[in-house]
Amino acid sequence: MHERYLIEASNLSRRFGKSRIFRGISFSVESGECFFITGPNGSGKSTLVQIIAGLQKPSEGKLAIKLNGKEILESLWSHIGFASPAMNLYERLTVYENASFAFRGKDKSLINHYISLFGLGKHKDKEARILSSGLRQRLRLITAMINSPGIVLLDEPGSNLDVEGKDVLFREIEKIKKESLVIIASNDPEELKLCHKGIDLAKQNS
Amino acid sequence: MIRRSLNFVIRGLILQNRIVKLLKKDFYIEFRSRASINISLAFAGITTLSVSLTSATMNLPFRVHSILIWVIIFFSAMNSLSHIFIREEEEGTSIFLSIHSEAEEIYIAKLLFNFILFIVITVVVTPLYLFFMQIWPENFIFFASSVFCGSTALSSITTTLGAIVAKTSMRSSLFTVISFPLTIPVLWISINLTASSLEGGSVDLLNLLFLLAFSGVIVSFSYLLFKFIWMEQ
Repeated sequence: MHERYLIEASNLSRRFGKSRIFRGISFSVESGECFFITGPNGSGKSTLVQIIAGLQKPSEGKLAIKLNGKEILESLWSHIGFASPAMNLYERLTVYENASFAFRGKDKSLINHYISLFGLGKHKDKEARILSSGLRQRLRLITAMINSPGIVLLDEPGSNLDVEGKDVLFREIEKIKKESLVIIASNDPEELKLCHKGIDLAKQNS
Repeated sequence: MIRRSLNFVIRGLILQNRIVKLLKKDFYIEFRSRASINISLAFAGITTLSVSLTSATMNLPFRVHSILIWVIIFFSAMNSLSHIFIREEEEGTSIFLSIHSEAEEIYIAKLLFNFILFIVITVVVTPLYLFFMQIWPENFIFFASSVFCGSTALSSITTTLGAIVAKTSMRSSLFTVISFPLTIPVLWISINLTASSLEGGSVDLLNLLFLLAFSGVIVSFSYLLFKFIWMEQ
């Protein structure tokens, strides 16, 4: 049976102490769809993506992530690919070791395939701490996509990427969004154009 | 029934693979940066040498030797053990770690890493101390068991406390404060056992078992609660 993912968020809100980041966020996305989250700085785009990834809990509301109609209650991480500027890589591990850490499959040639695909072939044995911010971002994207996950969550995926890096990113998103569920949090109109639907947190919070 | 058992075995094998991967990652990082281990070994070497030089002419009782051994082991290890979780938070890698691993795998891998590091420090500190102080335990097997059981209990405590304080601000001071009530009984029993083994006393199986049971209780509770501690924001 083909894996069908569904994310249903109803009335999500998030507070840090007394300050409210967002409230009343409801949406529904499924496999084969690309969903964008946009809004000004500080509107909670990254927080919302982290809530979907299970890294934070909403203050109120319910988030259900379902696979073939059944809610996923454990090992959510094994269904998700995630990249965010807030996610630092292991500085003392090489590009290959960082990618390998994220890789959960058996065919290790896929690690080299993704490293070459994102143009990091000649940097493979370099420690992450000596990479430029653009190359680090490419490595983050590799770790998000290397397992061909059913749900791909990308927070500011194009940040620090050059033209070539963005080309690869857009090509890969076009490819994976046919089967996977993709969520992109960004303010870049080019990245948002890749998605079918989405929400603007500025309007939700007003 | 067979399917259930098979699933259990498969889950166990996957868990084991992920734990090995996490352990390898921590060892690569530790031995490339050498931050914790170098500080711990330097502390161990300097204090052992200082104690032996200043007390060379004194005939210290075995109880004092036991106290000194444990003080050196304890502070050498404390320099590095709490860092295992704090480093993930300070370097911002905890998201990368959490997104690619189950909380239970993280806990077991960190516990094993701390345990191995503690044993390495103990294996360096103890012979160094015995050599410089020119003493030899009357009952070596009892001595080795007391040091091993004490180290096991202390490494399980520090792993759990490291995970708790990693999520807070004022990490170092909080670690010292909350480690106090848990480490005191372990240190007290370990010091008594080591002193008794140096004096040639008979093996105190009950207290050795207490240290192992204490570790077992700490590890079991931590394993069950770790997910909630680690995911707390």
